[in-house]
Amino acid sequence: MVANFEAIITENGKGIFHLFPALCKGCGLCIEKCPVDTIGWSRQLGFLGTPVVEPGHGKPCIACKKCELICPDCAILIERRK
Amino acid sequence: MSVQARPAIPRSWRPETKPHKFCPGCGHGLILKALGMAVDELDLQDRLIFACDIGCSLLAWDFFNIDSIHTHHGRTLPVLTGLKRVRPELIVVAYMGDGGAYAIGAQHLVNAAARNEFLTVIVANNSLYAMTGGQMAPTTLPGQKTETTPYGREVKAAGAPVLGPELVDSIAPTGAYIARGTVASMIQLKNFIKKALVHQIEGKGFSFVESLSTCPTNWRTNAAETWHFLEKEMSGYFKVGEIRQ
Repeated sequence: MVANFEAIITENGKGIFHLFPALCKGCGLCIEKCPVDTIGWSRQLGFLGTPVVEPGHGKPCIACKKCELICPDCAILIERRK
Repeated sequence: MSVQARPAIPRSWRPETKPHKFCPGCGHGLILKALGMAVDELDLQDRLIFACDIGCSLLAWDFFNIDSIHTHHGRTLPVLTGLKRVRPELIVVAYMGDGGAYAIGAQHLVNAAARNEFLTVIVANNSLYAMTGGQMAPTTLPGQKTETTPYGREVKAAGAPVLGPELVDSIAPTGAYIARGTVASMIQLKNFIKKALVHQIEGKGFSFVESLSTCPTNWRTNAAETWHFLEKEMSGYFKVGEIRQ
């Protein structure tokens, strides 16, 4: 069985930000680690009923993938914009 | 929208059990992510045995698509010792918390290290007993408030925090690999775990990696305070790096 997770896709700066609400627990660790502070709370809710995160709050995303690496639940996937 | 994107989870993780059972912001997810990345890079998935201990670490029993064992109170080490002696071609990983490794299961860790068994031990150090509600553990920092130390840990009454890798370093004979990583630097932690696994594959001896971990639920911290406690206070007391190569 392969689990399917649907992503909320947001294009911001150099990155295409994929957020999987079925994985995001809303811990906020990525918000603190983002070097350009682009990540902030979203109005969407994750599977625990907590807010998920979205880009577009500070400077544009530089696609450094720090949030993808630091997410304990692998709820973030960053693709570089071509 | 293009082709449906898949989360960047390591290949050795078991996707149908995700989201995993740990609390929001828990460091276990990050340590197991580092382990998953190391297992993927070494392509060990089909000959690895993953054993978890008592405490929050037991919630990893269905985490990987890897044969897993669950035992109690530090006995992952004797169980894996037997397994490794019978089937030396298998690679065995013990995954424990600081309570299981340094308190209730300390005798197993000390003896496995003294015998230089061919095991890889990964210890998550979050400075308290998380599953039972945040009581003082051997690794609780001086002055840190927990459920059983409401005025902060007093070194005079409760002793100084246990330095696990330094303890193993003083016991283990030549040939052991000992390191301390932190979930704040994931690539370094992954490299330590990878080196520990390679150490076992090459048959050099005991390999031990402690990782500083987070527990926002029992520290009662938000994300910013969690990173501060991990990177400033914990990393200040527990020095990160390779202790023996």
